[in-house]
Amino acid sequence: MLPKRFDQARPFATLGVILLVWLLLPLVLKTFARATFFAIQAPLIVADSYVQDLQTFWSNRLHSKDELLKAGKDLAGLISQYEFSVQQNKALDAEISRLENLLKLPSMPAFRYEPARVARRDFSGWWQRLIIRKGENYGLPVGAPVVFAGGVVGRVVEVHRYTAVVDLITSPTFRVAATVSGDNKPISYQGGLNDAFSSPRGTVEFVPLDISASKAAPRRLVTSGLGGIFPPGLAIGDITLLEPSTDGLFKTGEVALDPRLGSLTEVTVLVPLNPEQL
Amino acid sequence: MSRTIETHRARNPRLFLFHGVVAALLIVLVSGMAHRQLFKTGLYSERERLQNQRRVIVPGPRGRILDRDGNVLVDNRARFSVVLNLAEPHIRAEFRAEYKVVRANYRQLPAAERPNGDQMERIARAAVAQRYLDKINFILERHETVRAADLNRHVNQTLLLPYVLLDDLAPEEYARLLERLPVSSPLQVYASSSRYYPYHNAAAQALGYTSVDNDPEVEDFPGEDLLTFKMKGATGRTGLEKIFDDQLQGETGGAIYLVDPAGYKVDLPIEKRLPVQGKSIVTSLDIDLQQAAETAMEGRIGAAVALDIRTGEVLALVSKPDYDLNEFVPRLSHESAKAIETSGGWLNRAIQGQYPPGSTFKIITALAGLRAGTIEPGVSRIICPGFIMVGNRRFPCAHNAVHGEVDLVKALTQSCNVFFIKYGLDTTPQFLAAEAKRFGFNHPTGIELPSEFRSPRVADPEWRKENWRSANLPDGIWRGGDTANIAIGQGDTLITPLQAACMVASFARGETETKPTLLHDPRRPIQRTTPIGLSPSDYNAVLRGLESCYQIGTGRLARVEGLTGGAKSGTAQKGRIELAWLVAFAPLESPRIAVAVVLEGAEDQDFGGGLYSGPVVKAILQAWQDKRDRPAASAPLNFKME
Repeated sequence: MLPKRFDQARPFATLGVILLVWLLLPLVLKTFARATFFAIQAPLIVADSYVQDLQTFWSNRLHSKDELLKAGKDLAGLISQYEFSVQQNKALDAEISRLENLLKLPSMPAFRYEPARVARRDFSGWWQRLIIRKGENYGLPVGAPVVFAGGVVGRVVEVHRYTAVVDLITSPTFRVAATVSGDNKPISYQGGLNDAFSSPRGTVEFVPLDISASKAAPRRLVTSGLGGIFPPGLAIGDITLLEPSTDGLFKTGEVALDPRLGSLTEVTVLVPLNPEQL
Repeated sequence: MSRTIETHRARNPRLFLFHGVVAALLIVLVSGMAHRQLFKTGLYSERERLQNQRRVIVPGPRGRILDRDGNVLVDNRARFSVVLNLAEPHIRAEFRAEYKVVRANYRQLPAAERPNGDQMERIARAAVAQRYLDKINFILERHETVRAADLNRHVNQTLLLPYVLLDDLAPEEYARLLERLPVSSPLQVYASSSRYYPYHNAAAQALGYTSVDNDPEVEDFPGEDLLTFKMKGATGRTGLEKIFDDQLQGETGGAIYLVDPAGYKVDLPIEKRLPVQGKSIVTSLDIDLQQAAETAMEGRIGAAVALDIRTGEVLALVSKPDYDLNEFVPRLSHESAKAIETSGGWLNRAIQGQYPPGSTFKIITALAGLRAGTIEPGVSRIICPGFIMVGNRRFPCAHNAVHGEVDLVKALTQSCNVFFIKYGLDTTPQFLAAEAKRFGFNHPTGIELPSEFRSPRVADPEWRKENWRSANLPDGIWRGGDTANIAIGQGDTLITPLQAACMVASFARGETETKPTLLHDPRRPIQRTTPIGLSPSDYNAVLRGLESCYQIGTGRLARVEGLTGGAKSGTAQKGRIELAWLVAFAPLESPRIAVAVVLEGAEDQDFGGGLYSGPVVKAILQAWQDKRDRPAASAPLNFKME
């Protein structure tokens, strides 16, 4: 009777043995296994993303010619505006480097801009991580800042062969040295606990006591550039609440982030030209 | 034919037992769950609360200390540091792993040369801390090393609190660390309140310093049973910081945070009480006068006191050498403490220095003689040959000068020893001592500072009889030479510079005592104490003598253009130290400020009071005159004394 009963319990015994082996496995092997699993899974993620792109392509093809002509016209207007902005930026860049030379200031960190499609957002941690469709193949380094039209998106935390994982600005593990626009004192921005699909928010600490903000009169929060990773002046969000912190030295508060962070399709990775910068 | 269909009896008695066992087990299970869910709810929710909540106690920032015009003398500022949380489990694991490595390395040494277990633990701890500090060094491009002794002290005494790896970070540095250190790192950027002294050395001994308080008290804040972290507070150790510690001390606040299983806070606090800053103190000090005096005394040893004659408020209280109070933040280094010790900077000479008053005492001798009737203005005069014999002792005049015919006014102007010894002998030592006591030379002034010299003394025959052994005198017999000595401020009478300033202020008001205070009150009434007890003509005679001393006499180096006043210089010896005194008040017609300065000099110097202390007094009077015509700045009102 016993062998028959063992046969029945064999799947459970096998599961137990596998769990035991996994527990006893050295950390290096576990890390390797996890990376391998991600590498196996990555093509599926990328393929899924391409399918979605194709789906969007075909849905766009359903637009009428009139709609496309109107969109093309709007686009032409935008392009002319951007061309003007590019000219202005070139002039400002030249002025900045002239002043840097004059005042013997160290140069601002220089970056290469690498646009990347968003392949997937992890639904179990909606506001924590993104997977983008570029990785080692485009020379993305770990730690590189990621931005979009509305400001900061996050930082690259993992780089794989064809994909990279971005820690979002909404994640509690993301922290950056920021300043209130128009002020130069550095303060700390950190992501908060955000529920999936809710309005994204973060928290600020070490805000000087002379700075005030409310929902009615929010203050713009931008990157300070002092941390050496993010360039200065990138929008983070709006401080909508500030109250004295328990240490009596500063204020702490909440930051309302750009809601577009929840529907990102395209981001730009700032790849530092000097890798030691990260 | 075999049976292909199995049949079961509906009621198999063999199963009854099994049913019973299953039912019993289910009952036990349900009962157990019910017991836990219904009856032990409180216990489990309490355990959950203890596990998921952390309490942080934050001492209130100390109150500020202001000068009489509202200038901030002592302030608080945020101090950023990077700390390592040693109590974290994986740091403890790192310590253990490092300990094994250290032990293995030392095994190769002979047993006699091998460190013991405790020493190896220390080495391991320092190595782990250094590894983390190196991460900071890399980010900040620094080359700091862990102080092993500090680390061990921290581990033994305050392990629950994070260990400060690097202190006083610049804003750019803490910004870099914020961005580059992972949020989950045991290294964290931490901000604390620390004392800041914008005027560095100014009034250092009077203001005092604080020391770290590792256990700030908190009352009526919930969560006493939670795991609690207490931020460091500060306690006044000396000076005003100590005396007014209760008022300056803020109200402790705190917060209770929800934490995740790893111990990191997950959101804004669920319970919060903001700390409240302590009360600010508005002192009577005038930073302009204080700085003027300190600049004039730079590089010298001595003390200076300036008083508001009407109210007794202390305008300046200088003691040199001193120290930069910012060096005490967060703690004084061993080297700095040794340097202060060597220079003698710990002593607040203005209230603790014990000096013979020298010829400034001649004001007392003159007043005693006038009240005793031994000196009559315009009548009492002598011919000064440059010395006077008392018994077989020869007392020369100051700087061996021959003053010729001398009356009271000229004696005060030229500081003639012969005149005051002659009339001092006539006045008797008892009367001289009584007059000195009337001016408060025999008791401390009661200023709001700790460690004021508690037993100033006025020498007289009775004192000598009682104290000659303890004072290292050959016998207890009072001789004529002793009277001559006290008449000119030499010998065994010892006072502090603050007492000398009070004496001058009292005289200028026509009274005998001045109660000094370091607290400013714009509505403080003019002090009224015992009248000086002189006829107007007698009082005016002394006044004329002091005015003449200030204008053309030995105190003329203190004279400020366009400011009338009175002064008296003095020179004395204390052991091998020469003392240069000058006391003064101004303006003559309506006295407002009294000043006393004493400087210490080497034995071989010709240390004239007017010559050395005169410029210091002048600097103070000049600063006072410069401010006099300016509109008064308004300072906030002081706290109410309870």
